[in-house]
Amino acid sequence: MANVPPDLAQYPFYRARMQNDGRPAPWTLTDLEEFARTHPGDPFAGRALPGVKPKVALQIEATAEPPVWTALNPPEPDAWAKVLARMWARWGIARGETIGFFDYGSSPLVLLASGCYVAYLGRGASDRLGLSAICNDGVAAMAPRMAGIVEAVKPAAVVLRADLVAPFASALEASGRVLTGRVRWAAMAEVEGVPTRASAVRAAEALGVPVYRILRSDAAFLLAGECPSCRMFHLDRSYRAESLPAGEVAITAGFARSCPAVRYNIGAARIAGRGCAIEPSEERIEC
Amino acid sequence: MLKPDAIAAEPFDDLDRLSPAELDRWWERKLRAVFKAAARELPYYAQRFSSAGFDPAGFRTLADLRGVPISTKSDLLAAQAAGGSNAIGIEYGVGPGSAPLTLSLSSGTAGTTFITHTARWRRLQGRSSCRAHWWAGLRPGTPLLISAPAWHSYAAIQPFIAMHFGMPCGIVSGTFLPRFADRIVDAMVAMRPRFISMFLPMVFSVLAAAKQKGVRGDEVFAGVESMVVTGAPITPGMRDHLRQLTRVKRVAEIAGTSENLLAVDCARADGLHLVPDTCHAEVIDRETARPLADGERGAAVHSSVVLAGSVYLRYDGGDIAVMNHSPCPCGLPSPRIKLLGRREDSFTIGAQSLLPYDVQLALEQEVPELNGSACVITREGLAEGRLRLLLIEPERSPAALLEAARLGLARKFDVPVEITPVRDLPLRFKGVPPILSEPEAVESL
Repeated sequence: MANVPPDLAQYPFYRARMQNDGRPAPWTLTDLEEFARTHPGDPFAGRALPGVKPKVALQIEATAEPPVWTALNPPEPDAWAKVLARMWARWGIARGETIGFFDYGSSPLVLLASGCYVAYLGRGASDRLGLSAICNDGVAAMAPRMAGIVEAVKPAAVVLRADLVAPFASALEASGRVLTGRVRWAAMAEVEGVPTRASAVRAAEALGVPVYRILRSDAAFLLAGECPSCRMFHLDRSYRAESLPAGEVAITAGFARSCPAVRYNIGAARIAGRGCAIEPSEERIEC
Repeated sequence: MLKPDAIAAEPFDDLDRLSPAELDRWWERKLRAVFKAAARELPYYAQRFSSAGFDPAGFRTLADLRGVPISTKSDLLAAQAAGGSNAIGIEYGVGPGSAPLTLSLSSGTAGTTFITHTARWRRLQGRSSCRAHWWAGLRPGTPLLISAPAWHSYAAIQPFIAMHFGMPCGIVSGTFLPRFADRIVDAMVAMRPRFISMFLPMVFSVLAAAKQKGVRGDEVFAGVESMVVTGAPITPGMRDHLRQLTRVKRVAEIAGTSENLLAVDCARADGLHLVPDTCHAEVIDRETARPLADGERGAAVHSSVVLAGSVYLRYDGGDIAVMNHSPCPCGLPSPRIKLLGRREDSFTIGAQSLLPYDVQLALEQEVPELNGSACVITREGLAEGRLRLLLIEPERSPAALLEAARLGLARKFDVPVEITPVRDLPLRFKGVPPILSEPEAVESL
């Protein structure tokens, strides 16, 4: 069953987008929001089978009014968590270490970290890698507490939302603490899309540790991490990428069955092919 | 739909069928084992027990709790500072080679301590919380809305509850702040849960967000059979007020601490039953450490009765409470406790030491029309020995109601009272009045 692609014509959102070639037209978050607006009463905006109740429904943070939901059933959360675990492993983290988060608990970057954080997730990314996990509330006012976490808990890595970098750096400075020599790397994400390279450079300067970017699109269950070597986003084998005519890239998440994510347009990007020395067989995206 | 009495009569498991005396004996056995293991395996307690001359081998009955040293958050923070680590020697089942952990954070402004969760902690605390939620009226059948942010220990509990009862879950984006209330409104309309738990001020934020969307409060809460509020003690009037606003038949209160204390209303709503499988609690006189009689106000001191993750033994988290050991008509064996407020929020006026809860309660008792009213207690007034309130002006007969309240409070507390009507107050002040300086109150508008 796992390898049989879902019949997209059964899903109202895709049915309305089916092309002659039997594939749905690539879509964006705006398309999803538009579908939601015109189909009130369907929280999944036509991407879940009518009448089916998923075990896990996740409100997409990046969607405006009305918020759109995604749906997951086991083992999909586990498949998504594996993506996260492979991303962290690529950046380097060892069994027995701790990873810290400074973001909302509802972010997939946090949720998928531990089987504690979300129901019906067997093993989160930290469980898989043998890590401990701690999350600080993702609001700027809690930046001093994050600095305290670094001091007391000593995480080896920190994952945070891009807008919290500056308050976190200020809190570290105010408390006389530094990440250099304590934290090996930090990773930053926007709620949707990818932080700019320039912002990552600034973040690295402010925090004093390498800062990697995360490509995040919750509607497509997409998480991809920047490679420390080639600085492109290594695309986990769970996803398939295709180039679109206008210099854009569409992503399909192979594990998403309850709420298929097929041909999600992540915007301006380039498929750079394989060949990074770190993971020679991984597809790469440049954006 | 089950009626409240039917819910109360439906035990979660055999522990609910014990008599109070049997439960005491059960607690004694559990605590004896915990104290022995703590002395043997948890360095923090080994040292403190030894310093206090407490020998767990001599622990026989709950009366022997008096010999167990009390810990406060200051003690934990000091241990944390001394060791330079979140791990302070209260963590059970943790060490080199142990399975991955999650850590959550204590709440409050007095500093952050860390609560260690092991898989065993999650299983035991999760089951205990299932009992609490069952008592509060949770029944499967609709999704459970997960709104606890991951920094809080409840975030590790809610998913367990969903899985225990086989409930689907809906994860609301953002965090538990009023500005995300519109997301909760959307979630409630989309998921139509039968049961919901909410931080008390968030209820008002949700209602305000619904109003902005042109949706009535009772429409948002349609289908909710039981709503649990937490984070602040609710008065009977506030409970009625919430019922009226939401049309939810059962409004229950859950009280607790991140560090293990857990208590919840039964359907009688006459005090919160201790959830016995993970915690035991006492109310003591802080000066003398003497246990207080039922109804006497003192420090809530609680002990974990399970060994898993961070273990808190005779922990005084700064809550002021009253205990009630009289039998509850619902049949649950555990005593009832009401957390009335935080010690740092208590104030002395006239001859009395009061909590903001007392003011809220007195207001509704003196003038029932003011049930659920939001107000601020001003520091300036307290400094001058009078109770000065900024209170949202009632819509009907404001002058008469405020004068009745002023007279009633003055009579009750035997102090001068002044009430200034204001047009509005921030939603986060609804529930239990904060103590603020007047500029702070004005700035917050």
